[in-house]
Amino acid sequence: MKRTLSILFTAALLIGPGASQAAEEWGIDGEKKTRFEAKVVDVLCELTGDCPADCGSGKRQLGLLRDDGTLVLAVKNFDIFAGAADDLKDFCNKRIIADGLLINNPKIPLFALQFKKLAPDGKWSRANQFGKDWSKANGGKKAGQWFKNDPRIIKAIADKGVFGIPGLKQKK
Amino acid sequence: MKKLLSALAVLAVAFFTFSGAHAAATGKRVTVTGEIVDTWCYVTEIMYGLGTAHHQCAVWCAIGGIPVSVLGEDGNVYVVLKVEGDGTNVANPRIINIQTHKVTVDGDLYERDGVKYLIVTQVVDDKGIVNLTHEEYGIQPFGK
Repeated sequence: MKRTLSILFTAALLIGPGASQAAEEWGIDGEKKTRFEAKVVDVLCELTGDCPADCGSGKRQLGLLRDDGTLVLAVKNFDIFAGAADDLKDFCNKRIIADGLLINNPKIPLFALQFKKLAPDGKWSRANQFGKDWSKANGGKKAGQWFKNDPRIIKAIADKGVFGIPGLKQKK
Repeated sequence: MKKLLSALAVLAVAFFTFSGAHAAATGKRVTVTGEIVDTWCYVTEIMYGLGTAHHQCAVWCAIGGIPVSVLGEDGNVYVVLKVEGDGTNVANPRIINIQTHKVTVDGDLYERDGVKYLIVTQVVDDKGIVNLTHEEYGIQPFGK
């Protein structure tokens, strides 16, 4: 398990912008490289009719509505420990071509977005907008280990500890 | 008048059939008890994704914008889209503050294409973090 994580982490750090724009396998059970066209939708809006402007401007989970009516939940992007909302927010209610991994898990199906472009002829870009936005919001710091440098996380862990319970220590 | 009504009915049917407009469904009222979890790590099992062992990573992922779910005692994963009237569900501080907690929530359940989505109308009980998995699994991932 630790090895799988190390591989994923290293891949996330090392893969440059010049890498080929096709989904890569991550070694997750049930994963399938998938490319499809869909409309970007605000999931809460799609389900309930509660629809703010611009799909919530990155503050809402976004989904991919396929032409057959299937709603695909995009939960992950290419940045380590990050979701896909930042990558999809600018495509609110637009059609894109999404490339990534469809995880056919019996618990729930998930989609990890790796590349995206405006349909039909937009320019491909890697799904790493979270890192770009994070870097911009944090004085240009590199986003490779954003999770160790994010002030919200530093405060949360300082307040409650790594286990979420103040004062709880790991047994030696 | 009858002719006009018929015409309107036909137009309405045509609109909803061909426009692609998606009529919002009505949720089913439910009460769910379970642990607040990171959806990606728990579902994919890329690491051990429950309790104290995974709390730090669950905070990373929630702030990173990965959806948060309630892992119900019934074994179902309920993806949380709204908490107590707050319609933001990416890095929502209210949700992050109860990450890994065992909670009981009232809400509206929407099921779509294999995913259970939950609109939490009220957190009716919060027992805090009770799943002490660190004793067996340490800190997931990286061990620190």
